[in-house]
Amino acid sequence: MSAPRVALLVTCLVDMFRPSVGFATVKLLEDAGCTVEVPQRQTCCGQPAWNSGDREHAKALAAQVIEEFEGFDYVVAPSGSCAATVVKDYTEMFKGDEAMVTRAKALAAKTHEITSFLTDVLGINDVKQALTTSVTYHDSCSGLRSLGVSEQPRKLLGSVEGLELREMVENDVCCGFGGTFCVKFPDVSNSMVSDKTRNIADTGADMVLAGDLGCLMNMAGKASREGRNFKARHVVEILAGDTKTPAIGEDK
Amino acid sequence: MSARDTILARVRDAALARPEAATNREAQVAERMTVGPKGIIPHQGQATGPQKLRQFLEKLEANDTTVTRVSSEDEIAHAVARELRKRNLPAAIRMGEDPMFHAQDWGSLDVSRGPGRLEEPVTLSRAQFAIAETGTLVLTSGPDNPVTLTFLGETHFVVLRTEDLRSGFEDMWGDFRKRGLDPRTVNMVSGPSRSADIGQVLQLGAHGPVALHLFMVG
Amino acid sequence: MSGHVPTSSAFKSNSQEALVNRNLQAALRGSRGNFIAKRAAARANVPEFDDIRDQARDMKNHVLANLDLYLEAYEKKVTEAGGHVHWAETAEDARRIVLDICRKSNAKTVNKGKTMISEECGINDHLAENGIKPVETDLGEYIIQLRGEIPSHIIAPAVHVTVPEIEEAFRKHHAHLPPDRDLSELASLQAEARSELRAKYFEAEVGITGANMLIAETGQSVIVTNEGNGDLSQSLPKVHIVMASLEKIVPTLEDSATLLRLLARSATGQEMSVYTTFSSGPKRSEDPDGPEEYHVVLLDNGRSNMIGTEFEEMLRCIRCGACMNHCPVYQSVGGHAYGWVYPGPMGAVLTPSLIGVEEGGQLPNASTFCGRCEAVCPMRIPLPKMMRSWREREFEKNLTPSATRYGLGVWAWAAQRPWAYRLAARIANRSLGITGKSKFSKLPLAGGWTKFRDFPAPQGGTFMDQWKAGKR
Repeated sequence: MSAPRVALLVTCLVDMFRPSVGFATVKLLEDAGCTVEVPQRQTCCGQPAWNSGDREHAKALAAQVIEEFEGFDYVVAPSGSCAATVVKDYTEMFKGDEAMVTRAKALAAKTHEITSFLTDVLGINDVKQALTTSVTYHDSCSGLRSLGVSEQPRKLLGSVEGLELREMVENDVCCGFGGTFCVKFPDVSNSMVSDKTRNIADTGADMVLAGDLGCLMNMAGKASREGRNFKARHVVEILAGDTKTPAIGEDK
Repeated sequence: MSARDTILARVRDAALARPEAATNREAQVAERMTVGPKGIIPHQGQATGPQKLRQFLEKLEANDTTVTRVSSEDEIAHAVARELRKRNLPAAIRMGEDPMFHAQDWGSLDVSRGPGRLEEPVTLSRAQFAIAETGTLVLTSGPDNPVTLTFLGETHFVVLRTEDLRSGFEDMWGDFRKRGLDPRTVNMVSGPSRSADIGQVLQLGAHGPVALHLFMVG
Repeated sequence: MSGHVPTSSAFKSNSQEALVNRNLQAALRGSRGNFIAKRAAARANVPEFDDIRDQARDMKNHVLANLDLYLEAYEKKVTEAGGHVHWAETAEDARRIVLDICRKSNAKTVNKGKTMISEECGINDHLAENGIKPVETDLGEYIIQLRGEIPSHIIAPAVHVTVPEIEEAFRKHHAHLPPDRDLSELASLQAEARSELRAKYFEAEVGITGANMLIAETGQSVIVTNEGNGDLSQSLPKVHIVMASLEKIVPTLEDSATLLRLLARSATGQEMSVYTTFSSGPKRSEDPDGPEEYHVVLLDNGRSNMIGTEFEEMLRCIRCGACMNHCPVYQSVGGHAYGWVYPGPMGAVLTPSLIGVEEGGQLPNASTFCGRCEAVCPMRIPLPKMMRSWREREFEKNLTPSATRYGLGVWAWAAQRPWAYRLAARIANRSLGITGKSKFSKLPLAGGWTKFRDFPAPQGGTFMDQWKAGKR
């Protein structure tokens, strides 16, 4: 079988804040035998507009993504949230426009969050890495509840030699990021992220991992303000063996 | 237009505006109310034989209902008197006109009949049915078993014929209709009253009975 | 509009106050997780649970698609049983109808079982203004009535009140009792409420309850309680008024079983609540107890306008409270911050429907769309989707704050032009990166973020630029 052609949906936050997550994702995909391409006209999946009630702009961006990505075998994103927008929301956006719904459905069927793609689609259970550390995993909401991403990252982390996973209480509870929610309702968001950083710290783990950079920046930013001593990384960094890159918000 | 007509017209317009609206809605609804689809009955609502009884007793225990089993109706008065003594309760009980209770020899027990009053240490009712699915007693109001006895007794005693135990809600309602029952109220009771409104800690005995005790006959 | 003056438009400041209210935070922390663990255990014991959810959803959808016919069938049965059905288009109509019935009964005291419809209509204030004393008999409702509050939760109305606050309220309002009595035990507080309310059941001329369901087949109203107060409130007074909204209809007794299998498990984690009572009409000639009159006030108050819209599915709600029990926003700020009768996710959808998006529009925005509410809703109501629909309505109506609108517009313009987007990302990336800092404790235009958190600096260089430059 020839190598599947996989398009990387980089996502806005990874593009701008943490390119290393993008490169780690590429490494994981290439190690798994995929040919990775990065469609050059990609910008944003449209979720911020969609969740703000701005349907017209959301549709314009969705159409752009469909156009740019529909020619590949698979579309993979290092984000459950952006992947869920493609998988769950696009068909809803184009309701009434049958031609676009058909294209949206086709794209949805081949779009995946990275850990789910590796395990569920490619059947990979071992990333062949070794790292002596303890981690705790935060289930980002969209990935968990829209795409069912829960066991997949844990299975892959379990294959990292020397890595100990310590579950926190309420690991499936929102960290309070919520896109624009965290700046629209900063006090409520703060209450939520404070609960989260406390639950992380209570595990005594060296670092918190998650599959979405938005949640990670929120948790890392709060931990930094509180002077907590755990680090925050995207789960693909550990799975791809990239620990040289400073953790999120960490000094170089 | 009356409020009734306005509301109904609005609801009807919305119903008819649906692309999938059936042309024979009236017939469909009438049929739905008499036949109804056979819905999902969970496994725990389908127990039969000894398992049905075993499950019922487990569910009663879980909802804090205590039980005495007697082999025949003749033994009810005795069992009630014994239970009163065991609980250090006065030898007095309030009940309705249920023939099963009239047939008893209550001996020295102070028996009064009628609806519940402000202070009722102990009341006695007969359950029409019970449901093994959830450990629920089904009582029907009327002169035989005034509804207020179910709620005003500090301790509520209930008699159930074991043959009236049903597996789940569906077979209970089926037999309920077969018996031609049409009481003003049907009271499903699953344990003594309780509340967690104070400090989110569950405590028995809110406004209704503090204790519920079942006498199973046969 | 109804009795309680809504403060939903002040959700933001309400929530800020809630977050610094120590008693409230203590109460919220104390209850956190309880409902969740109990529901999870109850659900795990019924392998068919999710199938029953589907069945309940389909049943309710069928009812909503034929609600006119079911309402007529229900009304006919109530009337046959000697009851009266009163149709109320608005909360004001419901207030007038209830007051009329109470006046005709020469009522001085009205006992209340827990009813959210009464809260929605502001019945208590209306009765009190007209010289009739409403007495809430649900323990939680009684506590908040003494404290002059509205419920903060639809099934645990006093969940925000701490035990010392309850003792304080009892000492203040039960002034006829010995001041030196011992109320240090939870049981002593519950016993005192029980004995205070017991006498009141016999005094009231009218009892008002809500209804968890109305059964079209039989004309019965159904109430589900744990305390027994609802049954005493409806059995002892000579008049029983049921307050229910239109969508409470289910076709048959078997359909009620479907909802009962979901309701208590989703609400409190019980398999069944203690009391489920099916009532029809006034007492029969041979009955020794029960009310002489039986009235049903059927409330619309905006619901019929939801049918056929994207908010119709909200009318499947059975008021179990699972959505708020699982909502991290509700868990942080409690129910009062939502500013009206219905809090949490179901309130965030229902409130704008019932009191207008201008007043209630902040609520559907106060969500991270984490989706936990939808995941546990027994009726499979897509709550986040409907909150999003409200945001869309607000956007269309130009109710979205102008700064947000402007920001979205600029961003979307660039995002549709990859060159402009790359350029903007590059500029932002460089200007943040140029300082050499790993994080920022203050950033222009990001005060909402940096008030409470540091802002992690970008690594430097965008992914797209580096990829194009050949980095692998």
